[in-house]
Amino acid sequence: MYAIETKQLVKKYKEKTAVKGIDLTVNEGEFFALLGVNGAGKTTTARMLTCLSAPTAGEAFVNGHSVLTERDAVKAVTGISPQDTAVAEKLTVRENLALMTKVYGLSPEKQKERIEAMLTELGLSEYADVRAKTLSGGWKRRLSIAMALISEPKVLFLDEPTLGLDVLARRELWRVMRKLKGSMTVILTTHYMEEAEELADRIAIMIDGRIAALGSLAELEAQTGKTGLEDAFIAIAEGGEEE
Amino acid sequence: MNRALAFTERNIKELLRDPLSYIFCLGFPLIMLIIMSILNSSIPPEAHMTVFRIDNLCGGIAMFGQTFVMLFTALTVSQDRSGSFLVRMYASPMRPADLVTGYTFPMLIIAAGQALITIVSSVIISLTENVTLEPLGLIAAFFTLIPSALMFTAIGVIFGTLFNEKAAPGLCSIIISLGSFLGCIFFDAESTGGVMLTICKCFPFYYCTKSVRSATALDFAADTFLLPLAVTAVAAVVFTVIAALAFRAKMRADLS
Repeated sequence: MYAIETKQLVKKYKEKTAVKGIDLTVNEGEFFALLGVNGAGKTTTARMLTCLSAPTAGEAFVNGHSVLTERDAVKAVTGISPQDTAVAEKLTVRENLALMTKVYGLSPEKQKERIEAMLTELGLSEYADVRAKTLSGGWKRRLSIAMALISEPKVLFLDEPTLGLDVLARRELWRVMRKLKGSMTVILTTHYMEEAEELADRIAIMIDGRIAALGSLAELEAQTGKTGLEDAFIAIAEGGEEE
Repeated sequence: MNRALAFTERNIKELLRDPLSYIFCLGFPLIMLIIMSILNSSIPPEAHMTVFRIDNLCGGIAMFGQTFVMLFTALTVSQDRSGSFLVRMYASPMRPADLVTGYTFPMLIIAAGQALITIVSSVIISLTENVTLEPLGLIAAFFTLIPSALMFTAIGVIFGTLFNEKAAPGLCSIIISLGSFLGCIFFDAESTGGVMLTICKCFPFYYCTKSVRSATALDFAADTFLLPLAVTAVAAVVFTVIAALAFRAKMRADLS
């Protein structure tokens, strides 16, 4: 069973077609990046896979559950850290985590265990009783990821997690994301080449709503005859759509 | 239900940690009560103007305060919608009913606290004015305020759902003005009569104030208490249903 499987997935907004029939499979435990410039359809794809947006056509399965007919099952196995920092600003870090444990219906014992685990694993213990609004951008993103992880999802969606962060905060967050590798399936949407290059097992390059290329960094380099993801990306983008 | 309670808990904490909730929901009605009482002391007895007397003012200001609960509800909902917080909730097992319940309960608690403060303050002011407020009447008034609290909270959810955080407060301020005017808090429409009274009777605010004032005076007659209370209760149910439908429709539109 694939962690993610899409079949001719399409999303139209009135006149604009944001996602143009993508076929994609992501293996369990894989760190998978959807890479593309703004407006390429990455976030729309992630929204459809997390039941935040209904596909116009096609089908998608998350851990074997259909996003069309098994929305509750999909929501139960996914976690999402949205593009903007989605935290309750006036709650403390611990309270934000507690809120999510209750939303996902964890038992009181499990709530306590998961909150402590997230505080430790994400390095948030020092800020546990600090209100979210006083945290820096990087720490808010870290909290946002912890909130997504607290229900122990099978598939984690990270939508532009380092957008707008300074280089140090970005590198710090990469360390956090790198720790997740192998423990669950991670779908990272990003337009930062170095982020996808650094973290992803496989990369899907999205251009104008289509997957223009898909493979590991080495495969993309071999396919384009370029070195490094940025040059490979430019070659693919300038070479037109391959799929 | 547990999800709704979790969201309720979050909203209560967010409200209690926001200074604006104290200023708007608790402070402002209190200030109005004091200012109107000072105004009342300046009105000569021969004017026979009793609208600002504390036994009338208590119920009116308690209802007026609820319009600020509406404003605060609209602000809370619209601010949540403007960020990604609700996106996270939409992606979780939360349902629209859980979210609407979670927004409504805390506001009802705030409204209850506000009513209590208004009533206690009114008792203190009544002692200085040598006006007797019946304890049983005040208890009855407290419970009579529940339907209108629900109605204003529902209107707040509707505005917060349909409009953004910039438009919603402005639209709420129109309702606040209409509520104070058409609710006959600061003037006696019964004495004015005519078209003005007819217009007032077309809106639920008039019935909210009338039922609370009647309860305060231990007047439980059908035309002065039961009928206005029934109209307010029906309005509360109608607006609550509209709020739930509007929120569900907006959530579905956001997820389309």
